[in-house]
Amino acid sequence: MFGNNRLPAFHPGLTQSRIRDTTTGNRLWFPGVRSPPSESSPSDSDPPNDQLPLPITPEDLYDTPMAPFNPYTYIRCPCSELNPYAKRTPDVTAQGLSRAAQDDDDHTFDPRAARSNYSLYPLEYLSFCEDCHQIRCPRCVAEEIVCYYCPNCLFEVPSSNIRSEGNRCTRSCFQCPICIGPLAVNHVETPPDPNQLLSPDHAASSHSGSYLLSCSYCNWSSTEIGIKFDKPNSIHMQLAKLRNGGETRLTAKERKERRKEQGGGGGGSNNGQGEEDLDTLLDMETQFANLKSFYQNQLSDANGTGKAGGDASAALGNLGFDAPASLSRIMSLYTGSSSLHDKKSKSRPGTMREALAPSEGLQLASLDETSAITALQDFESTTGLDAYSSTASTTQLQSQTPYLGASPLHGLTRFTSSLRPIPYLLRTKRSKRCPQCRHIISKPESKVTTTRFRIRLIAGNYIPTITIKQLIIPGLTPPPMPNLPPDTIAPLQPAQFVLTFKNPIFESVRVTLATPATTPGRFPSKVTILCPQFEIDSNTDVWEEALKDNNTSSASTSTSQQNLSSSTGPEGGPGRKRAGTLRPGTAGGASLAGEELGPEVGKVWEKGRNWTSIVIEVIPASLVQTAKRDGKGPIKEDEDVLEIPMFVRIEWEAEAPEDEIMPGLSGAKGGNKDGGKEKRELAYWCVLGLGGLRGRCKRGFVCGRS
Amino acid sequence: MSRRPPRGEYIETDTGNKVARKATLVGTQNIMLGGKTVIQPDVMIRGDLARTIPPAQSAGSSGPANNTAVAIGRYCFLSKGCVLRPPGRMYKGVFTFMPLRLGDHVFVGPGTVVQAAQIGNHVHIGGKVVIGEFAIIKDYVKVLDGSVVPPNMVIPSFSIVAGQPARIIGEIPEGGIEAFELRDLYKTVGNNVQPTAS
Ligand SMILES: [Zn+2]
Ligand SMILES: [Zn+2]
Ligand SMILES: [Zn+2]
Ligand SMILES: [Zn+2]
Repeated sequence: MFGNNRLPAFHPGLTQSRIRDTTTGNRLWFPGVRSPPSESSPSDSDPPNDQLPLPITPEDLYDTPMAPFNPYTYIRCPCSELNPYAKRTPDVTAQGLSRAAQDDDDHTFDPRAARSNYSLYPLEYLSFCEDCHQIRCPRCVAEEIVCYYCPNCLFEVPSSNIRSEGNRCTRSCFQCPICIGPLAVNHVETPPDPNQLLSPDHAASSHSGSYLLSCSYCNWSSTEIGIKFDKPNSIHMQLAKLRNGGETRLTAKERKERRKEQGGGGGGSNNGQGEEDLDTLLDMETQFANLKSFYQNQLSDANGTGKAGGDASAALGNLGFDAPASLSRIMSLYTGSSSLHDKKSKSRPGTMREALAPSEGLQLASLDETSAITALQDFESTTGLDAYSSTASTTQLQSQTPYLGASPLHGLTRFTSSLRPIPYLLRTKRSKRCPQCRHIISKPESKVTTTRFRIRLIAGNYIPTITIKQLIIPGLTPPPMPNLPPDTIAPLQPAQFVLTFKNPIFESVRVTLATPATTPGRFPSKVTILCPQFEIDSNTDVWEEALKDNNTSSASTSTSQQNLSSSTGPEGGPGRKRAGTLRPGTAGGASLAGEELGPEVGKVWEKGRNWTSIVIEVIPASLVQTAKRDGKGPIKEDEDVLEIPMFVRIEWEAEAPEDEIMPGLSGAKGGNKDGGKEKRELAYWCVLGLGGLRGRCKRGFVCGRS
Repeated sequence: MSRRPPRGEYIETDTGNKVARKATLVGTQNIMLGGKTVIQPDVMIRGDLARTIPPAQSAGSSGPANNTAVAIGRYCFLSKGCVLRPPGRMYKGVFTFMPLRLGDHVFVGPGTVVQAAQIGNHVHIGGKVVIGEFAIIKDYVKVLDGSVVPPNMVIPSFSIVAGQPARIIGEIPEGGIEAFELRDLYKTVGNNVQPTAS
């Protein structure tokens, strides 16, 4: 289960920014959204073309207006170190580590540093290279595309098609240009004749087709741009031929044929006017074709009549856009074929003239905006709405794909009424390689519809998970301050947190923790780990547990509850020990005799099958007071969250590999062998997000930001 | 779930389903439960909306001789107040409902309305979500709270989806697929559950 089912996605491929949930003030992982989500409820009448921030946590979704702060642990990938793949000396003593962490500010990891946003990850985003014995993150692994597929029809697209057809689905998968929802192929409301529908290839002649694309989310339909289709399949191909309004457009092939008919092969019209006139509006494809043939002719002319130019101006002219050499280079860039004139023209400097007519690709910009203005005025007078709402939003324009039938530059659409359906962008399945040793650390099955992995080395199978819970002992923990907003930790008052480490591996591990005595930054909170060194038992009886789980499928509920207690680990159950004394399975914080004993320094708080919990004590800084006294200025982003950098070192003894000493091992692994066993070690920084500090940015509270 | 439910709130079936007495299951003969599924109070399942047109007469339909309206796999968790409703459409000129199928380990959040055609295995649907008619959600998909998945939308595996209308906003990382497992959640609900610290 997800600890927090509201946690928005973290997407490593996009801008990473840890934004806040405005209702809780929590820091959240969210892709590329910098502006906080609006606090208004999602049912507020957003215009359909308004694709502003996703409604992450509208307040009306929750019973309580203030959802609790969810403590988190982010782990730092070693790739953000200055010299990530250099060997490190593995034998740093625990005291040395903590001293280093405490004394040397340069070595204390600051989770609020600007760079840290790019190296801190939730555990599930991290991989693990078994050969390097090191954590790997989405930022440092090398990805390789296994296959391309359409997210709508789920068909795989061969990579050769990507090169020729582009990275969009060329079947019938389209998204709504207005709201981005999926479009469905439907019959036109009044089907003309059922007999005609049965024969799909009936109406290739007429442009008034019988099918349309329609959005069932916002009710947009392709008839709004005057487009209907003759058959319900290969919509992509049909749409490419149709301009808005339903007029057909010549395909490149058809144009070529037509040009042939007009004579002169690829371009007999390089001397000025063709039959087209200067006012002719060329679409992008025609213009490109005309320009291309014009320049090809120019090149061949230049080669034929090349002036013998040995002077300096000719040499300079060789670099200009009008020089044959540069021209042929540019053309080979844009046409993808190496021009046949290439070799010859290199040695022939000279200049050429530019296109003069539409037949040569000259397109005069139409600066006359009266039609646009009229359209705006008409919209206002007919609908009574603000004309602004008839214009396309930036998001809508960005999601439009270039349409070769559109007229260039000044003809580009700015009205929602002329937006075209968006063919689905293909998605990929990708494998990942270790950046250092190049071994594959993740490889999905190549079939689109399977979810299995051939290789999947995830950090969660190698390093302990850390869960955080505030420790509240009745009678010992001071009651929360009355005027404190929920989820904030009282300033200048000791607060204790239980950190539970769960061991995923089959060997018992020894954990050594270190934190700086005070958190880095302008508002230092004091931190003490009461038990910085401890062991976690191995994760041996997973099979036993799995078997038990299967056996109880028909057994009574009482036995299944026994399993629950052993498998849910820290949450309760038999076999859990605290400070050496056995306790019956009760919830932490329940009032048992002897429970009032607080945590002791140097002692483990609780221990279970493959988990150990310890206590960390913090004395949070007060943002308000410090800010006033020292005049430190406004509170910056994230300063109002209590984040504690913690250095974790885990050591264990593993079966030594039989054949070889690991190639390319980084410092994370010790080498001394001991009767088939080998000492292993892994060390990394992590960040514990414990809670909000008083004065965090929230309605009615001290806030430095506007 | 901080409050402990009163004793006997759930009916526990032989196959381990835990169905709240306060849940509304209409047309139970058309509702298939795979086992070990939790149905919380105020959940409504519309088994009565069975298809009125027999399935396509393609020979050898191997499925259960069915008029199943809602099929639910194992270890699903239907939170308080969610609604499962088979989708309906015009088919050859007649309106008919079509079955709604849920795979294994499907979590449906509180207040969510599901009218999908198919929801795969290991799918997490948040609270106050609307899954439109005939939507298809593949395996390992997370739909965030408040999303509105438009009708007919197909959501491929390992997608994170949000927004109104919903769209893919991210991917489930490799290490995130264990979190879809609902066995442990199943054990936290029922009549004789030991209280756990929450
Ligand atoms: Zn990395
Ligand atoms: Zn497609
Ligand atoms: Zn739409
Ligand atoms: Zn490696």
